[in-house]
Amino acid sequence: MNPPNPTAVEEAPAETPPPRRPSLRLPRDRHALVDNFFRFQSLFGLVAVFLIAIAVSPVRNGENIFLSSGNLANIVRAVSEIGIIAVGMTFVILIGGIDLSVGAVLGLAAVGSATLMVDSGLGILPTVLIVLLIGTAFGATQGAIVARIGIQSFIVTLAGLQAARGIARMWSGGLGIPIAYGDGPQEAPEAFSLLSGSINGVLPVPAVLFIAIGIGALLLLRTTAFARHVYAIGGNEKAARLSGVPVRRVRIAVFAISGLLAALAGIIHAGQLNQGSPNDGSGYELDAIAAVVIGGTSLAGGSGSMGGTIAGALLLGILNNILALNNIDANVQLVVKGLVIVAAAALQKLRPRIS
Amino acid sequence: MTERPLVRMTGIGKRFGGVQACRDIDLTITAGEVHALLGENGAGKSTLINILSGVITAYDGTIEVDGRPVSFAGPVDAQRAGIATIHQELDLVAGLSIAENMFLGREPRTRLGSVDIRRMRRQAAEHLRTLGADLDPRRLVGSLRVGEQQLVEIGRALSLDARVLIMDEPTAALADAEVERLFETIAGLRRAGVGIVYISHRMAELEVIADRATVLRNGRLAGTVDPKTASRDEIIQLMVGRSVDALFGEGRNEPGEVLLDVRGFAVTPRRPTPGRTEPAGVDLTVRSGEIVGLAGLMGAGRTELLETLFGAGGSGRRTGEVTIDGRPYHPHGPRAALARGVAFVPEDRRGAGLMLEHSVAENVVLSALSSLTTLGVVRRQAVRRTVAEQLTSLAVKAASPAVAAATLSGGNQQKVVFAKQLLTQPRLLLLDEPTRGVDIGAKAEIYRLLHRLADTGMAILLASSELPELRSLCDRVVVLHRGRTVATLPRASATQQAILAAANGDDAKETR
Repeated sequence: MNPPNPTAVEEAPAETPPPRRPSLRLPRDRHALVDNFFRFQSLFGLVAVFLIAIAVSPVRNGENIFLSSGNLANIVRAVSEIGIIAVGMTFVILIGGIDLSVGAVLGLAAVGSATLMVDSGLGILPTVLIVLLIGTAFGATQGAIVARIGIQSFIVTLAGLQAARGIARMWSGGLGIPIAYGDGPQEAPEAFSLLSGSINGVLPVPAVLFIAIGIGALLLLRTTAFARHVYAIGGNEKAARLSGVPVRRVRIAVFAISGLLAALAGIIHAGQLNQGSPNDGSGYELDAIAAVVIGGTSLAGGSGSMGGTIAGALLLGILNNILALNNIDANVQLVVKGLVIVAAAALQKLRPRIS
Repeated sequence: MTERPLVRMTGIGKRFGGVQACRDIDLTITAGEVHALLGENGAGKSTLINILSGVITAYDGTIEVDGRPVSFAGPVDAQRAGIATIHQELDLVAGLSIAENMFLGREPRTRLGSVDIRRMRRQAAEHLRTLGADLDPRRLVGSLRVGEQQLVEIGRALSLDARVLIMDEPTAALADAEVERLFETIAGLRRAGVGIVYISHRMAELEVIADRATVLRNGRLAGTVDPKTASRDEIIQLMVGRSVDALFGEGRNEPGEVLLDVRGFAVTPRRPTPGRTEPAGVDLTVRSGEIVGLAGLMGAGRTELLETLFGAGGSGRRTGEVTIDGRPYHPHGPRAALARGVAFVPEDRRGAGLMLEHSVAENVVLSALSSLTTLGVVRRQAVRRTVAEQLTSLAVKAASPAVAAATLSGGNQQKVVFAKQLLTQPRLLLLDEPTRGVDIGAKAEIYRLLHRLADTGMAILLASSELPELRSLCDRVVVLHRGRTVATLPRASATQQAILAAANGDDAKETR
């Protein structure tokens, strides 16, 4: 995995003029060391949790169950939906916003996928395009309300959560719509079931999608002007606006991305469960926020990284997995998850401040 | 004034890093006097005040209160010793009532431990009555006008048994009637034996209200005068010193074509924002290669005018004519302004100019990213080169382009803001207090930079509260009063007296 680096432009170029005057800071090297530890905090955390998981994993016939390829693939499959949502959430949180509607949009997208294929008899491509469009439009609308009217995103997306759930229930008649495969009426194309399958029987398709989207977003966030604008708005919105950053447009785009990825996660969800239920995805928004926070992205906006989010999502997945392997009660798992979130946030507080 | 002073500060000095903010200052405050503290921005007034009010705890020299040496561990300590401060930005909670604000953090309790609301209101009402304010202590502070809020702050000081009251530009945000009222209150406090430290830039006020004036210059004591007998010129001379004009170069090119032309420009907001003075009849012209100054008192509407010209002002109906190169110019946002070649360096560089926690490099390129990308992808090599060039050309002192902007000194932060705006290759540069909080060396560098830019044909419109800065830098000074152009003074006749007179509205007979 690429190391997360929120400050792509910052890397000190070799040919910059030497400092003219030493400044009153920590010595450069130590400062960089400390800074890098915190920047890659979630990566260290991921490695630590991984090693602990190996150590405490049950062993059967001399094989470490946690390390078996089947188990590892399952972990990534299990986090793929939350992971994809968390990627979108990272953009939103980087501009200092929050998107509470993603879980509900996932449910709406799952219902949409099932209904369009089963009831309307659409093919896979039109179905996927329509559902992604719905998610994107939903996100963009929320973004427009935030950007134009200036309501806090917490409130707008809280309302969006309710609305998306309501739409999903109306659309599905309140019931889960099962997806049967075949060529007949009321049946979805066989190919859709690929979403629950694996490539070569090893790599689960959702996991591949998650990794691909994660890497794509990571590159986007490290290289593009759009990403610089996202960081700038989160860092100081007023300064960004006065510097000519198209604040409204970026805001809308960021929420649209979040809606798009939530819809994609919904399609995957429908494919994995072979049904679309309007209640799918309840509480996913909180898991996604948790992944972003563990990844070291500041809820205040302006600093954080996509690599951190990916590591955070995987960390949560490993944690759930190892606790389940050891037959630890699901309720205890929740408590452990809570502790990890607080610990990650507390670590960020220890990060040396510059001003 | 031979009686024992309430407060005696002796040999006060303070360094911030490499900057000596003040040195060897003596100040006494006696009971029942209004002692004005004068000086330009950066003269050391706020440092001195922060030391006296316990905000700064490490300094040279001694402070005595009632003849006993004291050393405050914090503002609360100073308050206990009877020294209260009323800041320019009032420290009130808008959502709480007057009484709750007055007793915030030390609410009277009933025997059961709950807040004794009735006692609190009664005492608040008493203090308000002492001040001659007819206000219901139950009213929310957010619903009060600024002058009334000030009275609440004074009331709080009274409830603390303050014997020394420090007032930092108390009239800056007040309307005339409210100023009258405040002066009556101050006179009452003086009769009651309170010693008042009064900071203001308005000469006319000092003649009315101050008993003594201590003038600071460049962190040192420049002199103490009686403002009732000393002439304004004398005081300004003390504030400014003689050498200022020599510090900044002379000799400018002939200006070129008219670039910015503003005629009868006004903004009528649908809903006026308290504390904002929108343009209300502005006339000014800036030619290419010219530096035009914008003078006026606090609240004269300089910042609002610059913001509006940059497309970042308040909403409201625009009337009058604004043209750039003879073509109408009404930007609906900063992007539109930048697209027309207009750049803006805001007054509040920490709040509006920089992303403090982001690197210097990121800050420098933010406005010009579109010219440094291919298909939306930032060309890192180009960014590195551009940043290095800009930092060298403006002589920014930073350990590396990768350090956070917050680690730079004020002057270097300001240069980073300049670098960012100059990268957009503007033809008109709008500057709001470009040297505020900048040390004298960086100041001179910024002045040289402005001259250099003007020589390349850039048009510069510069708002400043520092008269010597305007005088020495500008080809012309436009004076605003309540959002209106009241005078346009060519360099030769832009004396400090003329500027101050116009800024005080002496030439403009108000009919309000």
